[in-house]
Amino acid sequence: MAKKGTVTELSSLFPAEEAQKASRRVQDEIAERRRQLDQLQGFLDDNSNLINLVWKLPDETHHNIMVPFGKAAFFPGRMTNPNKFLVLLGESYFAERSAKQTVEILERRSNTLETQIDSLNAIIDDLKLEASFFDNTARESAEGLVEIREDYIEEVPSGTSPNSGKKSDSVPLLEVDNGKAAIEDEEYAHIFSRMTELEKEEEEAEEANGSDQDEQIQNEQDQSVGRDSTDQEVRNIPIVTREAPVISKEGASHGDYHPHSSAVVKKDFKLPQEEKIGSPLPASNTVKKDFELPQDEKIGSPLPARNTVKKDFELPQDEKIGSPLPASNTAFTGSIVEHAHNIGMHAPQQQARGSKPVSRFKMQRK
Amino acid sequence: MADIKALQRDLENKASDLQKLGRESSKNNEVRKKYTIQLGENELVLKELDLLNEDTNVYKLIGPVLVKQDLAEANANVRKRIEYISAELKRLDAIRQDLEEKENSKKEAVIKVQQRIQALQAGKGKA
Repeated sequence: MAKKGTVTELSSLFPAEEAQKASRRVQDEIAERRRQLDQLQGFLDDNSNLINLVWKLPDETHHNIMVPFGKAAFFPGRMTNPNKFLVLLGESYFAERSAKQTVEILERRSNTLETQIDSLNAIIDDLKLEASFFDNTARESAEGLVEIREDYIEEVPSGTSPNSGKKSDSVPLLEVDNGKAAIEDEEYAHIFSRMTELEKEEEEAEEANGSDQDEQIQNEQDQSVGRDSTDQEVRNIPIVTREAPVISKEGASHGDYHPHSSAVVKKDFKLPQEEKIGSPLPASNTVKKDFELPQDEKIGSPLPARNTVKKDFELPQDEKIGSPLPASNTAFTGSIVEHAHNIGMHAPQQQARGSKPVSRFKMQRK
Repeated sequence: MADIKALQRDLENKASDLQKLGRESSKNNEVRKKYTIQLGENELVLKELDLLNEDTNVYKLIGPVLVKQDLAEANANVRKRIEYISAELKRLDAIRQDLEEKENSKKEAVIKVQQRIQALQAGKGKA
């Protein structure tokens, strides 16, 4: 419960030396690319010089030139036909072209060279970013930076709709107001009738099985069932324990209460119940707790946070207030839950009886 | 003891196999690089040939001599060359994949043998 997050030293994940090594590698890569870039740039310059030359050659009808002969010798010569070029296209193919056509070819070449240079520049920029990232990591790890990880826990269970989530947050503070505002008359009436119905059932149940043992058993069942049970089920239990009237009012408003929060509430309630009853051993309490926690986690991510919160009694109370909203459905479910741990399909009435009496007793005792 | 020696011999064999595979794959990579460059060059040539007029004189340098060639013929030749190079590249890719798989399995085998040797040595140390 107390475990909120983990703390990892950055240097254990990325040792400074390793990070530095990585950064050096990237630097090497950058240097390599730079060389390529320089080469390409050289080609481009040669190419533009050539273009200028080819442009100017046809200006005269002939040129006096020194013709290379072998590796070391030149002899004077005369260039005629300055408008006729043999252009190497590549793969040892040559084409006969005029000066103008030659320039076109050369320009196309310089275009491709430029695109290559651009892409190379982009690559170098990427690598620079990478290198600075590695440098930063190395520095941070050398400084002994620490990484803290904490699970993000939403206040509201993920299962409910966003609206409901908001509600739940606000609920603890202003439960009554919320409830009234939200209440629809129909719902209200419905709930009230439910409540009366339940009360009747409870009374019957009390008569039928007043013994503590029965209660205990039921309680235990509830708990076990609790994980699977929906929010509604959970709600019912808390409600019963608390003063019935208050709950009913508030309950009307919170039709959409979330399962998670309700589940949390449950825990608190149950534990007290057992103690009151007296029959359950201390051990049972602990066991229960364990069970419930896992459940919560299963149900949703938010639960773990709840558990911690629960410890303080106040929070649970708030939640209860907010949670109680036994819509008609809820009432049913609640009863089901108690017996339920087998399967929710039991006849609702029977279940209701069993569960209700228990809660009632608690209230009375309180 | 005998076990460990056998294992170590095994390890050496496997390591040398692994090295051989690495050499092969680096050779493969070089060839691939060469072909990719040639492919780019041929595509450039093809582009330029397409831009030429029908009646342009085209020559091919064969040894020290420039041999006059028909434009259509040159075009066809270049196309064929591109096809050949692409096929070759595909083949090299397949080979490279094969080599990588082999290399990986060899690496795993080597690691396994190393672990066994370590386990044996640790057991001996305890004993």
